[in-house]
Amino acid sequence: MLRDIITKEIQDTIMSPKFVFTFLLCTILILISVYTGINTYQSEQKEYSAAVALNRKNLDSQASYQTLAGVGVKINREPQVLSTVVSGVQEAVGRQATVNIAFDPNLVDSKFSSNPIFAVFGALDLTFIVKIVLSLFAILFTYDAIVGEKERGTLKLALSNKVPRDRLILGKAIGGFVSLLIPLVIPMVLGLIILMLYPNISLSGEDWGRIGLIFLMFLLYLSVFFTLGLFVSSRTSRSSTSFLLLLFIWVTFVTIIPKAAVMAAGQIKPIPSVHEITAQKDAYLQEVQKEAIAEQTAYFKENPTPKDQAKVPQWREDVKLWLEEFQQRMTSKLDERNAAIEREYQTKVRGQQKMAVNLSRISPASALMFSTMSLAKTGISEYERFLNSIRTYKPIFTKWINEKMMRSLNLSGGQQPTPELDDMPHHEFTAETFGDSFSRVLPDLVLMVFLIILFFVGAFVSFSKYDVR
Amino acid sequence: MLEAKELTKKYEDGVIALDHLNLKVESGEIFCMFGANGAGKTTAINLFLNFIPPTEGTVFIEGIDMIKEPLKAKDFVSFVSENVTLYGNFSAFQNINYFSKLAGKRNLTRDDYSNVMKRVGLQEEAFNMRTKNFSKGMRQKLGIAIAIIKDAPNIILDEPTSGLDPKSGQEFLVLLSELRDLGKSIFMSTHDIFRAKFVADRVGFMQKGKLVMLKSKEELAGEDLNQLYIEYMHEHANS
Repeated sequence: MLRDIITKEIQDTIMSPKFVFTFLLCTILILISVYTGINTYQSEQKEYSAAVALNRKNLDSQASYQTLAGVGVKINREPQVLSTVVSGVQEAVGRQATVNIAFDPNLVDSKFSSNPIFAVFGALDLTFIVKIVLSLFAILFTYDAIVGEKERGTLKLALSNKVPRDRLILGKAIGGFVSLLIPLVIPMVLGLIILMLYPNISLSGEDWGRIGLIFLMFLLYLSVFFTLGLFVSSRTSRSSTSFLLLLFIWVTFVTIIPKAAVMAAGQIKPIPSVHEITAQKDAYLQEVQKEAIAEQTAYFKENPTPKDQAKVPQWREDVKLWLEEFQQRMTSKLDERNAAIEREYQTKVRGQQKMAVNLSRISPASALMFSTMSLAKTGISEYERFLNSIRTYKPIFTKWINEKMMRSLNLSGGQQPTPELDDMPHHEFTAETFGDSFSRVLPDLVLMVFLIILFFVGAFVSFSKYDVR
Repeated sequence: MLEAKELTKKYEDGVIALDHLNLKVESGEIFCMFGANGAGKTTAINLFLNFIPPTEGTVFIEGIDMIKEPLKAKDFVSFVSENVTLYGNFSAFQNINYFSKLAGKRNLTRDDYSNVMKRVGLQEEAFNMRTKNFSKGMRQKLGIAIAIIKDAPNIILDEPTSGLDPKSGQEFLVLLSELRDLGKSIFMSTHDIFRAKFVADRVGFMQKGKLVMLKSKEELAGEDLNQLYIEYMHEHANS
């Protein structure tokens, strides 16, 4: 009997115009999204390779360590292959950071900043399609699941037979969900085949694991709206009421809660603006510069150039050593202070972010966004990890360049030696492991499972007492 | 056999929709229940089929207590609802196939479905049509076919002739007579006194949840049922 109910549910949905429309729309949207995702990734990959080559060329062309210290090393964020399915914050955050002796590095030159029109509408990625389009269809598929049967008289007809209510709702739930999955699964499989066959796109085993988990999150997210639809449908006596109620809940979940959570977190845990932080850093830089000039003046006052020419070479060596130590001390001081300011700022930012994330997690739409971004390595956390890796690299580079600068200092004048980059430390970044990403998405996964159980039990209990008249 | 014993339904707002109904419909009998809208006819049917729980009393279907063992009792009763629209995206075949399976009839063939649908007067061209394109009368016929194919010993019909044209209505009465001759107990709520008097073995008049009059075919012989109904209702409305 359960199989008959499931089959009927699938057939009834598949034969409806709303299914045909949903399937066509999802197929078109998902294929377009994968195609544009691939194209965007490939062009970003090209840009990245060009930027890396240019940086290398730029480093090689530096005339001296002094100029290299000023110009610095440019570090580019490598595009993630899974941005083809979940673009995340990739396009909103900077792609390049300059590490030099003077300033605290930051990622700049985001795609949105170079072309703000992208920021207006956002990317049409798979998460967007599932979050907005398919969740809306989940509601369209379920708002009349129970109440519609009542209005058609088919519920009475079915229950006039030896049909237990629990089996009927279970059959409707399974059949309805399978019907909803068809517009997601078929186009997504097609999209993944395109992704596999496309040249220059290589997915590792871990990437496939991540795609599998992303797909699981999609399923859970749609299940939340599906079971919610069943629940509301089994609590109302008119399908129009059910639809309006569900639409209201959908708007609240998908648009209002995530935005309100971010605003609330901003009010509850305010953070200083970037300008304030920059001003603090600049003020300290000026202070250090003053201090440096004073110390330098005092040193040269105490250690003037010897009148005895025989002592000059030794004096020069002493000066070089002192300058190296002095430069290291000053830059370390500056770096330490900047790092402290940055740490304090980042702690506040993280606190605000954490609060916004936790508040918005009430909405399954937020849970879906955070989890899929983490899995695709295109989320805020990955961006922060990358930025932190650059900030960790900065003192390493500074130490190296200071040593090189001071040792190559030619106090007698003449040409400075051209930099040798063989022993230059390189920036290293290891992406988050699969296990860490999974731990990160676990709360979202648990939350969605909880909502599914809650709504399904609600629907189950409501239907067992449902007035079929 | 269908039996109601002290069957009562009192809603939370205090309204008594059905007041201690005692009724037995024997095998091979057609019982027609009349009454104005809100008299309690549909409430009685909802209680017979366990769609709502009774406040008091019980219902027996072939001696099985519908309240205690609803799933077992439902095996022995089929139902024709008023204004059933069925699954609009399904054809007549698909609809009857689905409901037959719910009724536990798993071994029926397409020919069996065709025969029943022909028997209720549904045109053959309509068998493969989506029922959303059916007229009200066609849907009603299909609803009756679904009830017949279950082959239960008891049939409950809620306003079954509404939406049927005169010819179909007449054919329906012939069909009901045939089912009675097969030994089925038939309970029908209707406003259609004109048609019902030709087939009813007994009639009952409901008013404000009470069965206020019960007459057999013999008692009705020579009486104008229509006039009797109007007079009786008028009389009780003033009492």
